[in-house]
Amino acid sequence: MNASLNGKKLTPSMSGRNLKLGNKSRAGEIIFIIAMLAIPVINWLVFWLYVNFDSILLAFQNAYTQEWTTDNFVAFWSSLTRDGGDLKIAFMNTALYFLSSLVIIMPLSLFISYFIYKKVKGYKVFRIIFYLPCIIPASVLTTVFAEIVNPGGVVNVIMDWLHLSYPDHGILGTEGIKTAAIIAYTVIFGLGGDMLIFSSAMSRIPIELLEAGRLDGLGPFRELTRIILPLIWPTVSTKITLLMTGLFTASGPILLLVNGMHNDITISFWIFNTVRVTGDYGIVAAAGLCFTAVAIPLILGVRKIMGRFSEAEY
Amino acid sequence: MSGGFDRKPMGSSLLSKRGTGERIIYVVIFFLFVVYALALLLPFVWLFINSFKGGLEYLDNISDSKPFSWPTNFLFDNYGKAFSMFQYGDNTFFGMLGNSVWYVAIVTVEGVFFSACTGYVIAKYKFRGRDLIYSIAIVSMTIPIVGALGSSFKLSYDLGIYNTPLQPILSCAGGFGFNFLILHAFYKSIPWAYSEAVFIDGGNHFTAFFRVMLPMAAAPILTLSIMSAIGSWNDYSSVILFLPDYPTISAGLYFVKDDLIKESAPVYFAQLILSMIPIITVFAIFSDKIMTNLSVGGLKG
Repeated sequence: MNASLNGKKLTPSMSGRNLKLGNKSRAGEIIFIIAMLAIPVINWLVFWLYVNFDSILLAFQNAYTQEWTTDNFVAFWSSLTRDGGDLKIAFMNTALYFLSSLVIIMPLSLFISYFIYKKVKGYKVFRIIFYLPCIIPASVLTTVFAEIVNPGGVVNVIMDWLHLSYPDHGILGTEGIKTAAIIAYTVIFGLGGDMLIFSSAMSRIPIELLEAGRLDGLGPFRELTRIILPLIWPTVSTKITLLMTGLFTASGPILLLVNGMHNDITISFWIFNTVRVTGDYGIVAAAGLCFTAVAIPLILGVRKIMGRFSEAEY
Repeated sequence: MSGGFDRKPMGSSLLSKRGTGERIIYVVIFFLFVVYALALLLPFVWLFINSFKGGLEYLDNISDSKPFSWPTNFLFDNYGKAFSMFQYGDNTFFGMLGNSVWYVAIVTVEGVFFSACTGYVIAKYKFRGRDLIYSIAIVSMTIPIVGALGSSFKLSYDLGIYNTPLQPILSCAGGFGFNFLILHAFYKSIPWAYSEAVFIDGGNHFTAFFRVMLPMAAAPILTLSIMSAIGSWNDYSSVILFLPDYPTISAGLYFVKDDLIKESAPVYFAQLILSMIPIITVFAIFSDKIMTNLSVGGLKG
């Protein structure tokens, strides 16, 4: 932005530093601050603090009789450790979705962003096409995906052309590969969001730095790993931290794709479905409390590790 | 948001000169991108073609493994039926469209406006508790609270807002989260002297915010609003859970899917095409803003 006013150069500063305020003005300032913050703070107190505090209480209550109990934790542990238990399956599936986001989606997005940033031929069109899945309703994407991978669909026909076998019930109808198919869906349609963020961060890198690298004989791979990645590290580390917050809530659109059948559920779907169908808030709260207790130190640890790498200012 | 720095254009630098090896890499990448782009686009071509077929013709094509076959007759009437057959409870297509519009408006306007309020005040005013509020905003974002959905659901019942428009009105009036981070960073970079100029002219803090500071943030606000509008237009799970009697287009598509796809899949496909039109239109108008304005900085706190 143009940081000048009547030709005078301006610097960012705060209230009270540049202007002497009288008592009346100070009162006006306090009224303004209260007016601006009142609704968001009340909203946070009710819909975040109270909700989470109440969730802790619910974890120790019977959902139907409201009696104090630790049964929710017993049920949670049983479901998490028993063979075929809902939460055991949900946990395993959630871990797969989380790992695919971290190990496949994010690196692929970085790779695509790099070549978009380096203006590969047609990059403007590619950028828009790759981002399209982020704006199209999941109901549309899932229906299209389900129909093209169903028996007799496009994928089946392509596999026949290539003389490769295809499951009789399609990949979404065959146990054992269903979750892999949903993960493939999240990868195919999930690259655009990160791509936009990474290529935007790359666009702020001074060209002179890349030119210096080029003069030193750096090729595309080393340019990406030695110059660009360190320079956009604040963005990458933010993405990793935010990804970590989804450690126990990573999921695909399983409600829309396979209607949440037993072997496909994730933790977030299990929570959604339990609240919606059975109304057993107690076990949901107990599970949430345990998962949160595990996630917090992990996230703080990851943030600390991320912070050890130098952050670039440019 | 984009820094707005003057950058040397890449095309005029020595970076535009590529060696043979590098050129080969770029050609390979180009073809990989073409394949990926086709993989993303062809399903929608398929959807569009099949939305004009008859129900039986579609099923015959599937059993004959001819998914891309051209319709024998283009049944434009499918799009008429997509309106008349898109019914869930008492909600017609236009009812659901109306629900989508007010739901998107509430989520977007509240979410972005209150974030601008908190972002501006915390970036520009010194007061007791400011650092605490900022820390709370960061902690709320980075600490994952799993399993509070049951408690949220119970709260909605207790407040009497479950399944009423008051649910999004009250729950979306928060000023913290991703929007807050972006707008807080934006206001940190804006000189305070703009507000001082308003005070010298006799304006108060409200005048400074609404007349000067809020319009100055038009670019990031527009981008965040578009992103929020797209997200809330496509949101189906919150609506299914908290507003079952007010289905939006997205939620309605989920509710009617199983019945309609059995009755006539092409009509359902026509509904899907119709549901995309508003969001594609918005994207077409603002794609440049979305593509250039968004970036995420470091998260500290």
